[in-house]
Amino acid sequence: MVVLRAGLCPGLTEEMIQLLRANGIRTVVDFVSSDLENVAWKCSLSYKALVAVRRVLLAQFSAFPANGADLYEELKSSTAILPTGSPSLDQLLDSGLYTGEVTELMGAPGSGKTQVCLGIAASVSLGLKQHVLFLDSTGGFTASRLYQMLRAQTEDEEEQASFPGALQRIQVVRVFNIYELLSALQELRDRLSQQVVSSVGPLKLVVLDSVSAVIYPLLGGRQSEGLALMMQLSKELKTLAREFSLAVVVTNQVTRDGSTGPLKPALGRSWSFVPSTRLLLESREAPWEKATTQRVASLAKSPRQPTGVQVELDIGNGDVLEPSPVTPAQGL
Amino acid sequence: VCSLFVRMGLSLLARLEGRSSLKNLEPYLFAEEGSPVHGDVVEFHGPEGTGKTEMLYHLIARCIIPKTEGGLEVEVMFVDTDYHFDMLRLVTILENRLAQGTEEMIKQCLGRLFLVSCNSSTQLLLTLYSLENLFCAHPSLCVLLLDSLSAFYWIDRSNGGESLTLQEMNLKKCANFLEKLVTQHHLILFATTQTLMQKSANSAESFFPLKLPHETDTDYRPYLCKSWQQMVTHRIFFSKQCNSGNSTGFTVISCHLKRNQIVKRSFSVAECGVQF
Repeated sequence: MVVLRAGLCPGLTEEMIQLLRANGIRTVVDFVSSDLENVAWKCSLSYKALVAVRRVLLAQFSAFPANGADLYEELKSSTAILPTGSPSLDQLLDSGLYTGEVTELMGAPGSGKTQVCLGIAASVSLGLKQHVLFLDSTGGFTASRLYQMLRAQTEDEEEQASFPGALQRIQVVRVFNIYELLSALQELRDRLSQQVVSSVGPLKLVVLDSVSAVIYPLLGGRQSEGLALMMQLSKELKTLAREFSLAVVVTNQVTRDGSTGPLKPALGRSWSFVPSTRLLLESREAPWEKATTQRVASLAKSPRQPTGVQVELDIGNGDVLEPSPVTPAQGL
Repeated sequence: VCSLFVRMGLSLLARLEGRSSLKNLEPYLFAEEGSPVHGDVVEFHGPEGTGKTEMLYHLIARCIIPKTEGGLEVEVMFVDTDYHFDMLRLVTILENRLAQGTEEMIKQCLGRLFLVSCNSSTQLLLTLYSLENLFCAHPSLCVLLLDSLSAFYWIDRSNGGESLTLQEMNLKKCANFLEKLVTQHHLILFATTQTLMQKSANSAESFFPLKLPHETDTDYRPYLCKSWQQMVTHRIFFSKQCNSGNSTGFTVISCHLKRNQIVKRSFSVAECGVQF
């Protein structure tokens, strides 16, 4: 809600504002939605001047429509598809993470969400030489694990020399509540819009692990405030993704209706609309060998691909996602 | 003077032509003879992942494909408040539907589409005000799509504090102005609303005036402002069923609110978009 003040736009003088205020017109919305002929008469102001101010205010505060053909041209040059480092995951995602979108990984504790996030960060940083912002709200980020994942990506010694660089391109920010998270995102927006590239470099990926950890404490109590903050966060993530061509990955818990319903994302209906693409991660005990856990990813929502398709993820046995001494159960 | 009259005549013709051509937008979505006409307001309502946005892509494609290829060749305005619009998806649908899906042809089609994204209810309202000029200047711009109208519900509700009037102020103004735009410029408005709330268990009022024998179980609880509820002429409920195997089926229950007509249809979504 923008309040009218002198200097807000050319032609809007202090005197005008006083007169308008006396007639109950305080904000930009009040002004542009009033009947200006009536206002001109009541405030004894020039109708022409009011119309001019209205035009300027609208131009200043409304969003500008773009033609589809122009937008398509622009998108062709700005959209990137980031391979995740896991061929089976890429297959599900139609070759990788699309910039401009929010992708959600949902799964129960221990289903491999953080592992997949680390794998994606490693792949984007090492393989694509792009910068990554990793927002860690659970304390689940471990540098040594990330290093293992980098090692799993290449055997080549020359490439191994580039690990320090790859690690440097991944910036980790710990955020343990919604306010820290929102301010970290605000800082990112400021940096990106000022194009301070020296410290950030070409940022292509933002990972938020996990979104449920910061949202859960807000729900319950006076719900609408918590939900409003949640939607504020969703808006921030989506507009960052769009405006700066970033791929955004968030992780979420799962829940179900009753004890037999299908798994669905936590955080309720309002959040369910937020991500464009959603993957469900599940771990199952492999039938042939009790000790190994088999991980399965399936597509729950996508604007491009048929949903329901399932692939096996290999976290733990030499797939690109890593060969690791850590047993999968401890991985989280 | 003469040329002015000629020009006025031409633009009037353009308007009238735009009017008659929307009958075939998508007859399957509506009850017989119940297709929306200019001035109608259609609400798509449903939970996440039930095909609402996909149906909008379908309608956009129907509108912007040229007549020679079986489309309507009219212009469309898409207001994106969810930041969900996926241009690449629309292009895939166009490629699949055009006999010659050349880059040139696709760009020609996309030239008939206008897009604007809004990040708050205030910006939505101001943007709607500013669109008026565009509608005046483009007589063949006769379809307005809004995805979604409920995007700012929680933020507005929290900003309004205890007062329902303040909570609903912006949306009410948006609804009133949309009504004005639709009437004055002879548009058809399609707007999605998300199922954000569960139907309260003890709600006595049933939405359906005519009982459908088996499918009265639509999870519908109107929560947006009265001004919006009152201007809707067609309400279409979207739902999804998981069939055996991997295929997903979608269902719409389409209600013509003025005539109390209800029709149920199924569709599927393929590479080429919605298929009835």
